[in-house]
Amino acid sequence: MRSVVRLAAYVPAGSLGGLRIGAFDEDTFTLGATAVERAWGERDSPSESVEVHLFGEYPKMAEWGFPALLGREAKVLRHPGDAGELARTLQELEESSGGPAILVAAELPERTSGRPGHSSSPVGAAAVAFLLEHSSAARPFPLEKGGTNRSAADVAFHRAKRREARLKPSAYVGDWDAAPADGRPVNADLARHAADWDISAVSEGAYVPRARYLENLPSRWRFVAEECDNCHEVTFPARGTCQRCRRRDGLAPLLLPKDGGRVVAVTTIGKGGQPTEFDPQVESSGPYQVALVELANGIRTTLQVTDATAGEVRVGDVVNTLLRRLYPMEGEWRYGRKAVPTLMGKAERDEPSVDGRPNSETS
Amino acid sequence: MLRGFNDSVDKTVREAEALAHRAAIVGAGHTRFGVLDAGPRALVRSAVESAFASVDKGAERQDVSEAFLATLGFGGSQIGNSAALLAEEAGVVGAPVTRVENACASGGFALRSAVGALSARASPLVLVVGVEKMTDVSNARRRYWLGVSGDTEWERLAGLTFAGVYGLIASRYFAEHGNASEALAEVAAKNHENGALNPNAHFQKRISRAEVLSAPRVADPLGLYDCCPVSDGAAALLLSPPDLAHRFTDSPVYLDGMGAGTDFLAVQERGKITSFRATQRAAHEAFRSAGWHRSDVSFLEVHDCFTIAELLALEDLGFAGPGEAPAMTLSGATRRDGRLPVNPDGGLKAKGHPIGATGVSQVYEIFLQLRGEAGSRQVAHAGHALAHNVGGAGATAAVSLFSVG
Repeated sequence: MRSVVRLAAYVPAGSLGGLRIGAFDEDTFTLGATAVERAWGERDSPSESVEVHLFGEYPKMAEWGFPALLGREAKVLRHPGDAGELARTLQELEESSGGPAILVAAELPERTSGRPGHSSSPVGAAAVAFLLEHSSAARPFPLEKGGTNRSAADVAFHRAKRREARLKPSAYVGDWDAAPADGRPVNADLARHAADWDISAVSEGAYVPRARYLENLPSRWRFVAEECDNCHEVTFPARGTCQRCRRRDGLAPLLLPKDGGRVVAVTTIGKGGQPTEFDPQVESSGPYQVALVELANGIRTTLQVTDATAGEVRVGDVVNTLLRRLYPMEGEWRYGRKAVPTLMGKAERDEPSVDGRPNSETS
Repeated sequence: MLRGFNDSVDKTVREAEALAHRAAIVGAGHTRFGVLDAGPRALVRSAVESAFASVDKGAERQDVSEAFLATLGFGGSQIGNSAALLAEEAGVVGAPVTRVENACASGGFALRSAVGALSARASPLVLVVGVEKMTDVSNARRRYWLGVSGDTEWERLAGLTFAGVYGLIASRYFAEHGNASEALAEVAAKNHENGALNPNAHFQKRISRAEVLSAPRVADPLGLYDCCPVSDGAAALLLSPPDLAHRFTDSPVYLDGMGAGTDFLAVQERGKITSFRATQRAAHEAFRSAGWHRSDVSFLEVHDCFTIAELLALEDLGFAGPGEAPAMTLSGATRRDGRLPVNPDGGLKAKGHPIGATGVSQVYEIFLQLRGEAGSRQVAHAGHALAHNVGGAGATAAVSLFSVG
């Protein structure tokens, strides 16, 4: 027997405030990945395999993307995106025994219908992930069975929200009810342009070959560093050698925190300051910020800032990180983590900003 | 016994002197820097011709036993085997030529290789040429090439070019030491003032601090006038062993010490981003090998690709304490008539920055200044000079020390 032990719902910040669409750098894989990360948490047992059931449409790379995200063997199974299928699958999993299973329902409405109230789904961009694990007592999760016209993501999302209070510990981390008071503006045009971003555009020479991209996924997606048992130096990104004592033996993987990083330095890239690969992004979305973020004591990484207006993030702010589309290369989207501002994580704003000018002028 | 002792003392003194002068610059040439009609071949030819013309007692192409070419190969027109291009245009076909590519520090490292070749192979004359042709490609290709020497995986593909990386560095510098916008503007204004007196400079006009501060932001807090321009140009040096220098000139400029260093490509892997360890290491090695003190130096040629880089250079080279470079700059100490003139030729900021040519061009300026030939921009009492050349955002750095002996 298996029971739902955790669930997580994720609604991107850009989906709040009337227009229910995702950010320009999101797709169903990034939406689902964020919900899965939150439902799964951190685990030390990379040998434990997991089943991942996907409901709805996902990019082809989801087959290897979810195993890479979880850092372990995972069997990825695709299902139609309707609520009936979700309920049936859930019941089957509850009634059978086996290892952990994750159900993912992610939905990204067509970006072309960006007008308020005209999104193709009542939910809009959202994702829900259920985590089922072995359990001696049957505790079926109350999802309607049978056919329904509603999407799996829609039904699961609302059911998940209602059940949230009774699940211990609560893993409901969506910000559905916690819309920021100032409701960040969502520009449907931006998202539409981004959808047109020609993924055949390549960067000639300064690019990351696919093999290197895949090799480096643990560091880029999961923030896997290496800790040396000889000198205790933490090397990030992992490169198989301790950067202090140069030893190649005794390196243990160490997961760095994905949330709560501190901005050490930040710059706003104005028009013309970006590498050519980012021209389409700048043309559609305008200036963006890039921050040097300290993830843990002394361990830093360079991250583009998303779900924010340019100039919003400043030195000293606390940021979280999410998996997003980075850039198109070799005919595919490359994914990696980006920084997002946190509501409570703004550094003291009484001080003048880094550039000595009001925030609103930074772009 | 005593005679033998004196001989050995003499030998030690001679060895020390030989060590003090590791190479002699006997000729130096330079093209105009800027947006030029000339292509890379013509630029190389013209810089080499002007270097030969500057040798007081004359030198022949046959005297050149080896040559080094500093270039990034910007635009990709001759991205491979460009050493042979140099041999053709310099008229030294047959002699071994090596291309040295360390991004913006190519020139400084080519000089280092040339000094190594002089001592290793007893060459009478070694030629060093730096060249870059940057303005013959489209704007999109230019921006593409400007970022190829940074970290690709974590920095470029997070959306950063060098302006962005130096923008991060400036933001951190402000956070640690307070807002230094005024000092950055002063670096730009001071270097433009010097560039206005340099007939080879890309920009020969003065700009005010206010203009720098109000320019559009490229990578906040850096604006358009905090960045060096994209320029074409070439520079060339003729080096000889110190004991042969007087065959070519009665007033050689000696290279007395050099150092170089590297650091992680990506700034995320460095403990501190408001100083460059590669520069610190290079300076330490250079001063130790020359036996000089900081106070011996009369002026500096430093790598000011962005205004913030000049402040970092003053601190990393040991001429200002951490966080003290802005005050030193605003005090006027680094102006041409100040206590320690910095970039009397206008620096990368005003003179221009043809990538491979820059490190060689810095030594051209030192050659002129130490020989008292810098005309209206001549620095007073110029006896000892330092050249500082950085690759990328501090991933490579070379420092050299020069004197008139």
